[in-house]
Amino acid sequence: MDLNFYAQLLLNGIVIGVIYALIAMGLSLIFGVLEIVNFAHGEFYMLGAMLAYFLTVNAGLGYWPTVLIVVAVAVCVGYVLYEALLASMRGANFERSILLTLGLSMVLQNGAVFLFTTTPKMVASSLSYSNILLGGLRLSLSRLYALGLGLAAFAALYLILYRTRIGKAMRGVAQSRDAALMVGIDPRAVSRLAVAIGIGLSGLAGAALAPVYAVHPLMGFSFVFKAFAIIIIGGLGNVSGAAIAAVVLGILESLIGGFLPLVMVDALVFVSMIAVLLLRPQGLFGRGVRV
Amino acid sequence: MSAGGARALVVLAALAVLFAIPQFTSHEYVLALGVSFAMFSVLSGGLNLVYGYTGLLSFAQVGFFGIGGYAAALLVTELGWSLLTGAAAGGLLAAAVGLVIGYSSLRLSRHAFAIVSLSFALLCLIVARDWVSLTRGAMGIPGLPAPVLDLPGGTRWRIAQPADFYYLLFGFAVFAHAVIYLVVTSRLGRAMRAIKLNEPLAQSQGINPLAYKLLAIALSALLAGIVGGLFVFYLTIVDPSIFDFYYTETMLIMVIIGGPGSFWGVLLASAVLAALPDLLRFTTDLRMVLYGAVLIAAMLLFPSGVGGWLQQRRIARWRRPQPASQ
Repeated sequence: MDLNFYAQLLLNGIVIGVIYALIAMGLSLIFGVLEIVNFAHGEFYMLGAMLAYFLTVNAGLGYWPTVLIVVAVAVCVGYVLYEALLASMRGANFERSILLTLGLSMVLQNGAVFLFTTTPKMVASSLSYSNILLGGLRLSLSRLYALGLGLAAFAALYLILYRTRIGKAMRGVAQSRDAALMVGIDPRAVSRLAVAIGIGLSGLAGAALAPVYAVHPLMGFSFVFKAFAIIIIGGLGNVSGAAIAAVVLGILESLIGGFLPLVMVDALVFVSMIAVLLLRPQGLFGRGVRV
Repeated sequence: MSAGGARALVVLAALAVLFAIPQFTSHEYVLALGVSFAMFSVLSGGLNLVYGYTGLLSFAQVGFFGIGGYAAALLVTELGWSLLTGAAAGGLLAAAVGLVIGYSSLRLSRHAFAIVSLSFALLCLIVARDWVSLTRGAMGIPGLPAPVLDLPGGTRWRIAQPADFYYLLFGFAVFAHAVIYLVVTSRLGRAMRAIKLNEPLAQSQGINPLAYKLLAIALSALLAGIVGGLFVFYLTIVDPSIFDFYYTETMLIMVIIGGPGSFWGVLLASAVLAALPDLLRFTTDLRMVLYGAVLIAAMLLFPSGVGGWLQQRRIARWRRPQPASQ
């Protein structure tokens, strides 16, 4: 087995891991700030990909305008979602917010099946077929762009969380809601922004992966399974923990997937989640904040 | 007559009507609705035990249901076990899996349990589809034989007609609800409710929450596994669609509408919603959109379900100041 093969698997794994990270970080951010597990998170990834498909294929837009529009729409949807549904869940118990987002996921997913049918759609653009060679490694341009978008989103999220006042407020609310309230942080503004960013990241993931994989209404469902495992492994509410766990998982998946049947990969995800829960329940990168 | 006596009469009358249905009609559609009601009522009753009484939101019921179905189908077809031992083994396997999941995730929190139970249900679907050497993949195991039961007294009951399956599942559902009823009305049920209402307080009264939570999970998994084992023989096939999220969503809606923690409310909601496909003759996709919308509306407007809402009204009536007597 030549080294190139491993390097190729590694590279593919990093790309997919970065996309997992986009979804898992949003999920983890929303959980950290609102204490709501957003069961509809995968559906926003699916809707992002669907919108990207329609913008590219039906409206004939190019790659970058598509990505921009999808992210802008996703951020707006995040605001609306918070104001219309999630804001009233403040102080409600955890199960109620889960059931609410589960209901939303059922509406979005089955609505998409009804409107668009389950036939996979391909976003065939010139990107999907052009490759670049990196010293013997082949990387399609669409994957390279996905990687770049993912890394840019990491950087932007880092800057927001650690270099702006609102980001600091967000971390404050995640650490202690009561203490944040006492020092005059408005939890509503912070929560709204957290949801908007989380949904925006999901939409971005959808737009970035639309040219790589087929687009269909059930795509969010299988993805969110991994995202949940990732946020448990990374520590519930820990955004950077989720990012690291996601990239590692993407790489492992790709390496294992090169040799073993796919079912082993999914089983690995689940077994590692259970192992983390048994050995280190606060997550590998848990931050000691009560969940 | 006391309220309890009236309720007992209503229940007996309902059982008599349900028992008599196959005598009046052999219409397959009616019997299919009956089988579906029996099956869903056991699933939603188990979910009610875990979520409604003990306060643990679980998405794993469908996993237990499917594990029971696959285990029973494989044991009967590959190893020649009888239906009852196969279904019982499926139920026990499901209960064992439930204990593993519950034990590992409840050490962290209820939240982790909810997430892990969902991942578990999705994992079951993936394993059933992709572990081809055991489960035969997406095609499933078709052509399950009509089971034969040896009844006491030497008669053999060949379960082949829809009416036979109706009685089989009806009988098991009555048994399962009797078990659930005994649990929720006993000390066990009170302890579970105490844990749901205030876990630290329950703990300070000497209740070990983990033990009761695991008991609720294991019992609901056992019942779901057995009903899965029986149901696949009615379908005559088991394939990965037995793990479909549709079952989870339907049983959740039944519990939410009926009112979590209300035994009769959930049972009644199961009956109504099992018959609902007849009233809502549009495609499954639209029905699930509607169920999702109902779930959202219920969470925004009546978080304690119809049963809980009625109970709140009853309490409000008690609290209403009595007109001052002269």
